[in-house]
Amino acid sequence: MTMNRTIETDSQEAFIEEIEKVQDMLPKRIDANPKNVEKGLAKLVLTLVELIRKLLEKQAMRRIEGGSLSEEEIEHMGETLLKLENKMQELKEIFGLKDEELNLNLGPLGDLM
Amino acid sequence: MRIYAYGIIDFHNRLEEPIEGLEGKGIYNVSYRDIGVTVSELNEETKEITDTCILEHEKVVERLMIKFTVLPMRFLTVFNTQEDLLSMVGFYYEDFKNNLERLRNKVEFGIKVIWPTDTIKQRIINAWNKSNHSLSIPADSKAKSFLKEKFKQQQIEKEFQEEANRCIAVVDDYFNKIAVEKKLKKLQTENLLLNASYLVDKDRQNEFKQAFEQLKNAPSDLKFLFSGPWPCYNFITLTKKPASVDYFNTEDMLNRLLAQQGFAKERNAV
Repeated sequence: MTMNRTIETDSQEAFIEEIEKVQDMLPKRIDANPKNVEKGLAKLVLTLVELIRKLLEKQAMRRIEGGSLSEEEIEHMGETLLKLENKMQELKEIFGLKDEELNLNLGPLGDLM
Repeated sequence: MRIYAYGIIDFHNRLEEPIEGLEGKGIYNVSYRDIGVTVSELNEETKEITDTCILEHEKVVERLMIKFTVLPMRFLTVFNTQEDLLSMVGFYYEDFKNNLERLRNKVEFGIKVIWPTDTIKQRIINAWNKSNHSLSIPADSKAKSFLKEKFKQQQIEKEFQEEANRCIAVVDDYFNKIAVEKKLKKLQTENLLLNASYLVDKDRQNEFKQAFEQLKNAPSDLKFLFSGPWPCYNFITLTKKPASVDYFNTEDMLNRLLAQQGFAKERNAV
């Protein structure tokens, strides 16, 4: 190398692991073929559903904290969110998707979630 | 014959020094007005350019940096014809000129920081358990217990993010005054607290390295990776962005370089 390069760390193994994780998360070139197109589509749809689910959860917590909901409404909301989470879990298993895969890189804006 | 592009330089004449590029081909300069694109020819038979080319690409960019200001192009940028290449340069010409001016005599450094995620989380959970911030509803049904647990998770995550911000501010404070520009990526993974790139004047490199020594020697439970100087991979900013092609950086170039430099395989640092 022509530049006086330094790469210095006392925790090489730990950084190797994290760098590899980041590498895996970087957007890859689109490899559209019949085998993965279904999973790719599921990933996109489930990412958006997951975003909406998280927004609903946050909104629910704010409303409960604010004291604007009756006991019955809280019960109803809890049941809905619980079912939604369980259903998402099922769908992730069906399509072999992990939590960390349900995200979108929005370039300069960062990640969706 | 296709054309592999390495970078844009602030020079439009013929390169005097021979530089070897991919497939052992000689590098030459394709001029456009007062700037140039450094390229080499690529065999038609080469259908796929492997990641091993990254190191060769990097070597070329570093050789060019000795004499010129370089805007390193994204690894594996290939044009089918010289007309395609010139059309790209023409499209971005003003952007290239501005970036060449801005990045003159600058280099890039990378700082990565790992923090003890489990310890931090446990500390936050302990503090939460001692406090009385639980959602004030009775946990007399499955649905309500679920909501209480969700609330706790949200609050812990919020505190985790705030703690990350505080730690990053402390680390950044060591470099902020020396760097001209910076890009800080927070928590790309739970453990990787910070993945930062700093743009630094060439004549302040030693100062930057000393700041890292101070940071490293300060008492903390953080782990650090310092790397540089690098070509300015992460600081090229383009105002024109056609949707279909990306010639510069949309991904973490330094991660790829670190991996390709054998960092992930060899025990000793490069």
